[in-house]
Amino acid sequence: MTEPSADPTVPLVLGIGNEHRGDDAVGLLIVRHLRSRLAGVATVAEVVGEGTELLDWWDGRRFVVAVDAVRAGLAPGAVVRWESGRGALPTSLGTVSSHGVSLGQAIALGDALDRRPEILVLYGIEGSNFAVGDPPSEAVLAALEPTSRRIEAEVRGRGALGRESAPRSRPDA
Amino acid sequence: MTDRTIAVDYLARVEGEGALHVRIHDRTVEEVELRIFEPPRFFEAFLRGRSYLEAPDITARICGICPVAYQMSACHALEHGLGLTPAPAVRALRRLLYCGEWIESHALHVYLLHAPDFLGYPDAIRMAKDHPEAVHRGLKLKKAGNALMARLGGREIHPVNVRVGGFYRCPSREELDELRPTLEEALALAEETVRFAASFSFPSVEEPYEFVALRHPEEYPMNEGEIVSSRGLRIPATRFEEEFHELQVPHSHALHSVRRDGGSYLVGPMARYALNRDRLGPRADAIAREVGLEPVVTNPFRSVLVRAVEMVYACEEALRIVGSYRPPDRPFVSSSGPFDVPGCMAATEAPRGLLYHRYALDRSGEITEAKIVAPTSQNQKRIEDDLRDVVTRSLDLDDAGLTDACERAIRNHDPCISCATHFLTLDLQRN
Repeated sequence: MTEPSADPTVPLVLGIGNEHRGDDAVGLLIVRHLRSRLAGVATVAEVVGEGTELLDWWDGRRFVVAVDAVRAGLAPGAVVRWESGRGALPTSLGTVSSHGVSLGQAIALGDALDRRPEILVLYGIEGSNFAVGDPPSEAVLAALEPTSRRIEAEVRGRGALGRESAPRSRPDA
Repeated sequence: MTDRTIAVDYLARVEGEGALHVRIHDRTVEEVELRIFEPPRFFEAFLRGRSYLEAPDITARICGICPVAYQMSACHALEHGLGLTPAPAVRALRRLLYCGEWIESHALHVYLLHAPDFLGYPDAIRMAKDHPEAVHRGLKLKKAGNALMARLGGREIHPVNVRVGGFYRCPSREELDELRPTLEEALALAEETVRFAASFSFPSVEEPYEFVALRHPEEYPMNEGEIVSSRGLRIPATRFEEEFHELQVPHSHALHSVRRDGGSYLVGPMARYALNRDRLGPRADAIAREVGLEPVVTNPFRSVLVRAVEMVYACEEALRIVGSYRPPDRPFVSSSGPFDVPGCMAATEAPRGLLYHRYALDRSGEITEAKIVAPTSQNQKRIEDDLRDVVTRSLDLDDAGLTDACERAIRNHDPCISCATHFLTLDLQRN
């Protein structure tokens, strides 16, 4: 994995997923769209989504966007947005990962340990097919560009705000 | 007459989908079934027709938590069959890689899975609010294990640098030296973990286990050794299938591995420790003595202590290897054939216990047959035996209490089955 930037004020965009499992690739595909567009604006990285790794990435950051496939009972390709501090993460957003600590658990663990970004935004794209070896579905592929544009706008807007204030102290972790 | 049924329909977030069914009739436990209903994954069939060189990478995908174990058993089996002997430095690097996996896996088990049971929390997240320092310690240990995996394997999960005959690339001495501060800190944290686990209160339980593990003439076993048991078995891995049989049972898609007489046995940290207590390194030995850990642990709840001691061992062994490392002249050795080997067999010690592989190759080096016996398969019947004892001892508990006792009995043994805390949704039926 790319090492997290040492500057906690630089916005971070994490694409989470597995490119060999159908729609689970969507987080990775979106950050590939965003990498060049956000060059010089944000750190953009692809991660598998193992929860303890996520804590290392976002611990002490000012502003983090995570993009992942979800199963929330919506139409395939539908996009949900959740932001920390504005209600609990719906549990359905925390169950896609097959690793030891899921995204949802990582958010909760980060809260418990004070190892979280100041602002965490999660974009979840509803997936329908997570079969090994399958390509992403048409519905999910159709969501790539509009979701990328939406995230880019948000990072550009809020990332600038993040740089204006002093970084908070990082917990000893 | 009363019938009581404890039915847990889904063991969520396990490495395999499973359920638990217990039937009690007139205070007699009549049926205990650990039901693994995940569809068969067919890895042994996937391997047929593939080059023997692909076996380490294919089998690594069986498990996201212990891919190194699959890679190691595959490599050793094929090298044994093909008569390949990697350089001593490669052997040491493999052991170092295994140390990383043990540290990572045991840290997850101790802190995120097992500790909440002893401290009275439903899960690690709620435990973290009251014991953040403990969870921080566990995460640091896991990160140290990850660092070893990434440095040697190319990445933390499903390493890509392992090949039959050695590694695609061996690290420089400087690259390993960079890990030394991380490992020294991890060693101290692992020792603290033993003291932390020793502070738990343990139920008074003894189980009549037949322990099975590798035993090596000089080392605490990871990659090599004979298969031995606490009841006198001592065989090379090539004779594994003479002494252990896999059975299909109606309630599980996972085969049950049993002794030749049909009895259960236990692999994993408790077995390794019981059969190799005298092979621990000095720091692990000292901390085990400090906390009064008995030389043979038969209380499954105390397995958390054994795992912690093994973490200490893995850290001190990793430091020893890093300190003495000299890169090999060649990162791997290769075979020019002949490849038509009917039996390539080996067993290594995954974090959760003995992992046996057997391959047959045709003359082009394609795999014609593969057999993989995972620790979970070997421990399933023994876990059911534990559950039977737990339920028998706990009949006076209400249903919630009995279910909790069963969950804890499972978690004592197998984080691959119960790799997240408190994973059961209960469906209880009474007559």
